[in-house]
Amino acid sequence: MNTDTIYPKVREIIADVLAFDVEEIQRDGSLVDDYSAESIDFLDLVYQLEREFKIKIPRGMIEQEARRGIGDEDFEEHGRLTEKGLEHLKEYLSEVPEDRFTPKMQVSLIPTLFTPETFCKIVLREMEGGGQAASD
Amino acid sequence: MVFHFVDQILELDPGRHALGIKHVTSGESFVRPNAGGRATLLSCIIGEALGQLGAWNVMAAKDFAVRPVAGVVGEVAISGEAAVGDSVLLDTTIDSVTDDAVFYHAAASVGGATVLRLENTLGPLLPMEQFNDPKEMRERFAGICHSGDSTGAPETGESTAPPFDLSFDEILSFESCKEAAAVRTLSGSEAFLKDHFPRKPVLPLSLLLESLLQLGQKLLEDGGSLYVPTGAQRVKMSRFVEPGDSLVVKVRVSERNAKNALLKFRSEVEGERVCVGQAEYRAVIGENR
Repeated sequence: MNTDTIYPKVREIIADVLAFDVEEIQRDGSLVDDYSAESIDFLDLVYQLEREFKIKIPRGMIEQEARRGIGDEDFEEHGRLTEKGLEHLKEYLSEVPEDRFTPKMQVSLIPTLFTPETFCKIVLREMEGGGQAASD
Repeated sequence: MVFHFVDQILELDPGRHALGIKHVTSGESFVRPNAGGRATLLSCIIGEALGQLGAWNVMAAKDFAVRPVAGVVGEVAISGEAAVGDSVLLDTTIDSVTDDAVFYHAAASVGGATVLRLENTLGPLLPMEQFNDPKEMRERFAGICHSGDSTGAPETGESTAPPFDLSFDEILSFESCKEAAAVRTLSGSEAFLKDHFPRKPVLPLSLLLESLLQLGQKLLEDGGSLYVPTGAQRVKMSRFVEPGDSLVVKVRVSERNAKNALLKFRSEVEGERVCVGQAEYRAVIGENR
């Protein structure tokens, strides 16, 4: 199974949660910048995905996984990504277009990078046995 | 007790399920004559009572360290009314509780008939200390868990609370059967703010929704036709409305025919999204609801 298999359903759920027409949701769109997603929407989205795909998505999972294999001090400095942290994040969020990453970006702004494909990857990983098991 | 609507908790399975009672008494702030002139409790307050019962259950299960606030209501289905003298049976089932949110569904019934359902409801969990005194909440909870025979008289009896004013300060625009915009500034002196919440007064989603539904109802009226709300979907609250905030509400008719209507709504404070969703109505021309 790959993310193509689950994308139609994930896209439908995202459209529903963010009150857009399905056709308006682009696979690499930024949920925050293009579809005005707010924190309540992410809570809602994660829950709807959990229900639909019968999985559990640990809260804060994306950021935790992005930090895996790198010490906190290497990942961020005063709440901003270090150069190494940025490279690590780019590798983890490989589906996000390169130009959306900015040097020294605030860690709190990481969710602005998330796209529908980001959530497809998360769902797939959890369906296949969980993020921890998949990457360990 | 202005904005507490669970008079008694009859059954409690912590973190899972609860049954409670709300007695509808005359003179309550949220009782209004319906289209047929019968004094009934505002539908959104029945929804509020269901949410409060779910909240009691989660707060107790989490030892009053956190409390849920309004987040998302996937669906509100209004199928009946609760009139003065009725006792509303509240039934709330928690589907899941995480560290940051509770997910639940609920139904309210009168005499065995369902009057309102909430589906797919999400409430973010926030630190109790920010909203209420945990000690006071524990005491209140103990009180409603042990308030005797559910069929007895309501604990508050007859009250003379002034009716809640649902109106807006100003209608900014109004085009019948198309769209309307209105504004209301929360003054801080509204009675419900005392309870919702003592440490952080904010406009309850239930009252915001009731105002929206009523504005929508006026918008749909045309040449003697009358529409009543039958529900709302994907109602989402993304920030608090606090005293001093001017809430701008926009309602747009998306579909309208002789039988039904669908409205989309959005409310904002200083351009920031507060609440979005849609509402359904049915035409009741010449019929007493």
